[in-house]
Amino acid sequence: MAPLLELNHVTKRFGQVVVARDVSFTIEDGAAVGIVGPNGAGKTTLFGVMSGDLRADSGQVRLAGRDVTRLDAAERTRLGIGRTYQVPRPFSGMTVFENLLVAAQQGGERRGAASHSLAASALERARLSERANLRAGQLGLLDRKRLELARALATRPRVLLLDEVAGGLTEPEVREVVGIVRETLAEGVAVVWIEHVVRALLASVERLMCLADGAVIGDGEPREVLSSAAVREVYLGSEAAFEAAS
Amino acid sequence: MTALAPPKVPDLAPAPAPEVRRSSYPSAWLAGGSLGAVVLLALMPEIISQGGLVVLLNFFILLTMATMWNLLAGYAGMVSIGQQAFVGLGGYSVVVLAVNGLNPLASIPLAAVIPALVALPISYLVFRLRGGYFAIATWVVADTAELVISSVTALGGGTGHPVPGLGSLSPRTFGDVTYWLSLGVAVLALAVTYGLLRSRLGLVLAAVRDDEVGARSAGARVMQARRIVFVVAALGCGAAGALLAVSQLQVQPGSIFSVQWAAEMIFVTMIGGMGTIEGPILGTVLFFVLQQNLASQGAWYLVILGSVAVVVAIWAPKGIWGFVSSRLKFQLFPVGYLLGGRGSTGRRR
Repeated sequence: MAPLLELNHVTKRFGQVVVARDVSFTIEDGAAVGIVGPNGAGKTTLFGVMSGDLRADSGQVRLAGRDVTRLDAAERTRLGIGRTYQVPRPFSGMTVFENLLVAAQQGGERRGAASHSLAASALERARLSERANLRAGQLGLLDRKRLELARALATRPRVLLLDEVAGGLTEPEVREVVGIVRETLAEGVAVVWIEHVVRALLASVERLMCLADGAVIGDGEPREVLSSAAVREVYLGSEAAFEAAS
Repeated sequence: MTALAPPKVPDLAPAPAPEVRRSSYPSAWLAGGSLGAVVLLALMPEIISQGGLVVLLNFFILLTMATMWNLLAGYAGMVSIGQQAFVGLGGYSVVVLAVNGLNPLASIPLAAVIPALVALPISYLVFRLRGGYFAIATWVVADTAELVISSVTALGGGTGHPVPGLGSLSPRTFGDVTYWLSLGVAVLALAVTYGLLRSRLGLVLAAVRDDEVGARSAGARVMQARRIVFVVAALGCGAAGALLAVSQLQVQPGSIFSVQWAAEMIFVTMIGGMGTIEGPILGTVLFFVLQQNLASQGAWYLVILGSVAVVVAIWAPKGIWGFVSSRLKFQLFPVGYLLGGRGSTGRRR
């Protein structure tokens, strides 16, 4: 059977700068994969290429064997690739519930009552029930991150791409996000998670990839990857990775 | 990997359907109020003079156009200054259908569909451009349509063409029927707009207005949504143009394709309140009140119109309705969703 998500020799340039060079990897159904790497390593760019926000200059993206390289973000969402953004992108003028309803109706379950249930489930999963009828523009950072996650969940993804959902949160808040991610994993949804908060990753993923300068320089069991020589070199000076790994 | 033992969680999909309401007050009020207003307006031929009916007819034509422009620009973010293309095509469609033996009054629905059909291929051209470039492109389309139509000698070229087949009605009946048709078209335009905004499409448009990248990522087909709106707006403007042709008994390319129509739609929508259903209604009322009372003042009339636009743009950028409703926290046409039993504080603008 074809892997859930597959990147084949993907290259992406911004002008002269190569931000992804000949990247290939696969994500299996239900897998929990973390991605680390220094700023500018090309992590978010890779997400863009997977989600359809960016078009790869060369190479191929496949979802469950189907070539989705030429499909735009909306079509890929409908096929099961959900994503969150590093800086949340709420629909500020709409209520929290309406934010989720758009995602449920467009990316998930189109019918009236079923879309309402789907949106309400995502609301509860992300612990946002109390905020359902608040305008998204009024939410604080934690709630924006929750909403970002919930909106991706409401599209009923097969693979969920999380871009630093724990960034900027306090310790208890990070634990809560980890809880939401693990509940999602338990449902069989594959998760690919870019995160600088390595503790959060180690509590959630079984595979870790390290990106540097647009290339995968480490891929495997999280603690092994973090302690490998190549990864140590790019992370030299970043204590978080070592502390967590040791 | 024991740390990753999956916690017991309920599945995301099957949950009982939650209670979802569409407004914080009974919609029976809205339905009753609107119906009352429409019935009153429908009785106008019994109440006011034929001259008054003509003013109201033109009011409804402009209201229809403004409602369509508001849908385009206020809700779908497409600032068009070329809607007169579809007004003109609607008017000329009436002529072509009437020449071929159709009753002009009965042909209005078909005459409105023709511009909508033309709008579909045009959307593929103009949608390649955004913002100001899109606006200019629509104007170019309108001018091109005018040039093409005025070069067709069978349609009277630059001097225009009368609408045949209207001689059999008495002036009184003709006046009443065209008035009712214009009322019907305006009500339909408002109802269709309201229906669209309450539908899934309306939610998509609201999302795109807030964050287009986020909307695409939520699965929204943004181009498709815009295309539907563009075609619906052409349909509405086409109906308005068909009514213009019928009520004026003739079409003339220089006037029915005039950019003046775009200017008026934009003016009334901006002063009334863009992006609200109520705005174009209020704006059109204000425009007609000013026009009826000041048109005889010549240049001063235009000075006053311009001043109104400046004052509103500076002190009430969301238009008069936006100014009023943000203070009263009230809207006549609610389009939002409220999830039941969760402390309803949200209210959608």
